[in-house]
Amino acid sequence: MKRIWLLALIAVLGMAQAQKTVSLVWSGAITGPTSDVGAPYGAALEDYCKYANEQKLVPGYTLNCVIRDDQYQNPNAQRILEEALDKSKPVIYLGYSTGAMLQLKQLVNEIKLVTLPASAHIGLIDPPNTYMFLPTSSYSEQIVALLEYISKQNKGAKVALVVNPSPFGRAPVEDARKAAAQLGLNIVDVQEVGGNNLDNTALLKRLEGAGVEYIVHQNVAGPVANILKDAKKLGLDKKIQQLGAVYTGGNDLIRLAGEAAEGFLWASSYYLYDEDAPGIKLQKEISKKYGRPDAIAQSHNYTAGMLAASIAVEAMKRSVQRYGRIDKETVYNAIVSMNGPNAFKPGFAVSTKAGIEIDFTKSEQTGGEGLRVLQVKSGRFVSVTEPFISNLFRKVHGK
Amino acid sequence: MQYFLQLVISGIVVGSIYALAALGFVLIYKASRVINFAHGQYIAIGAFSAYFFATGPKLPFVVSAFLALVLTAFLGFLTERIFLKKLVGQPIISVIMVTIGLASVLDGLMHLTPFGASNYTFPKFLPQGGVNLLGLQLDYAQLLAVAFTVLFLVLFSLFFQRSTLGIAMRAVADDQMASLSLGVSVEKMFALAWAAAGLTAAASGLVVGTIAGLNLGALTSIGLKVFPAVILGGLDSISGAVVGGLLIGVLEKLAEGYLDALVPGGGTSYVFPFVILLVVLWFKPHGLFGTEEIERV
Repeated sequence: MKRIWLLALIAVLGMAQAQKTVSLVWSGAITGPTSDVGAPYGAALEDYCKYANEQKLVPGYTLNCVIRDDQYQNPNAQRILEEALDKSKPVIYLGYSTGAMLQLKQLVNEIKLVTLPASAHIGLIDPPNTYMFLPTSSYSEQIVALLEYISKQNKGAKVALVVNPSPFGRAPVEDARKAAAQLGLNIVDVQEVGGNNLDNTALLKRLEGAGVEYIVHQNVAGPVANILKDAKKLGLDKKIQQLGAVYTGGNDLIRLAGEAAEGFLWASSYYLYDEDAPGIKLQKEISKKYGRPDAIAQSHNYTAGMLAASIAVEAMKRSVQRYGRIDKETVYNAIVSMNGPNAFKPGFAVSTKAGIEIDFTKSEQTGGEGLRVLQVKSGRFVSVTEPFISNLFRKVHGK
Repeated sequence: MQYFLQLVISGIVVGSIYALAALGFVLIYKASRVINFAHGQYIAIGAFSAYFFATGPKLPFVVSAFLALVLTAFLGFLTERIFLKKLVGQPIISVIMVTIGLASVLDGLMHLTPFGASNYTFPKFLPQGGVNLLGLQLDYAQLLAVAFTVLFLVLFSLFFQRSTLGIAMRAVADDQMASLSLGVSVEKMFALAWAAAGLTAAASGLVVGTIAGLNLGALTSIGLKVFPAVILGGLDSISGAVVGGLLIGVLEKLAEGYLDALVPGGGTSYVFPFVILLVVLWFKPHGLFGTEEIERV
């Protein structure tokens, strides 16, 4: 009898041994500046990891997801990554802020660690780069796409760019200038506006005086909401159309700006919470399962985190299926072969006309290239364009 | 001229918020010579507690705001009783480090609540629109900022000039030993100053929340943004805090209106007040209204 128990114990231990562990690491602003973006993003990664383990999405492996708060501090992000490299040996890194990612770009390329940042700064995938991949279109591509949208409505329009005073905000300015020149738009001013912009009268009156018809924002929701409210107060909401890239919009903007958000145009790759998409269905299921409050569950930043996590998990799954193991090399190979018939379609982001949602190659390191322009109508964002890819971005960038 | 006036009025509105927040710094410094680096956190607590009362138990906003004022004042009082009372007589750097630590602790505690990482807005309590002043549009939230500043300025002026407690606080600020010998409880005066600072912090939180919404980072950073106002006006002068706040607000807006166009990217409003501050401090090292302390050896 004792022998049977011993054999059973060995069998159980053997099975436990067969279930290997693989790590991914993310650090971002769960607290501190931009935590309104970072907290739902991090929550989505955490939830998707739990879900992946429960559903055994990566056969034979248990995911060890190291989710840490770097408080939007570059030194913290670097310390967390270095600590993870020593201890948990991650095969994939999901980063966050523009500053930290630009700082760590060289390191992740040196150690050949596939990295999927939340930041969509184009400099992250500009050469020299092999291992950094953007889950969706870059800020620059979003802004150029918005300029293309403007030129279709009003050829020769006067446009002002209002950007965050940071590398995140300044990222698309150069490409926007080049694109505007080709589109026949006139960029009359580029202004930097950060948080705590309690009154924007001076900015708006000056832009009005310069005949600006469109303000394109590359910022976070707070400063944009304040500008929208001041524009409404000054009666400029009908005179100047405002538009913004992905982190300017979403539920936060509507919550903060209220009625002043009406008419705002937003470039985003993600499906909205009230849309019928497979990814959104999963998002609802997962957020409910893990008891997330509505403010997080319905945030497009939660969707963004879900998308990044799903790409990472899919790459691991394909590593196992193709190579029988997961390491940094197989994850890289799985990511760069995610194209053509092997493109990934988790249903969190819109697909291009070719029906492709997420694809990567060695030279094309942007996953979801499709985006839509959405507009606030009766207190909610609705799509005003079909999904499209910017025609001009690749012609002007780096030229 | 209309443009200039518009900028000045915008500056007065923003400056009123700075002045209101600066009052809290001055009240504490005036009484106890302590600079409270956790002031921004009290501003956030004031704003979020009003939001909580208005959306949780769904109390009318005026009641919620009143409760937030009382709660934040009580928190200020408790802070002094629990953390700072024991530091009386200790080196000033120890006290400052405690307030910096307190800021981190309060930040951390707020991050444990849903208010830590999301954006909120107060339920609507002001009517739509605003008033037209000489052709310039002012909305009710902006008027509220100015009204709160004036109200608190008047209340504190009356308090310090007419009430026994106010006079005792001034006496403590003037000479602690002399006040003690006259039977004034210095400790109580310190606690009272912290409570009053909590009150003004909550008031500025209510105003900022009404104008710009509720975001922890944005609210706490107001606490540090008013430093130039406090230094410009003089760390121990209530009227100085108000004048300093208004001056910084107006200078910011004038820089934004006239200088930003000349500088690629703009952003001069972040720098220009500090340039003026440096110039003023060159001639008046204790600020415009600060007490000049002469040490004789």
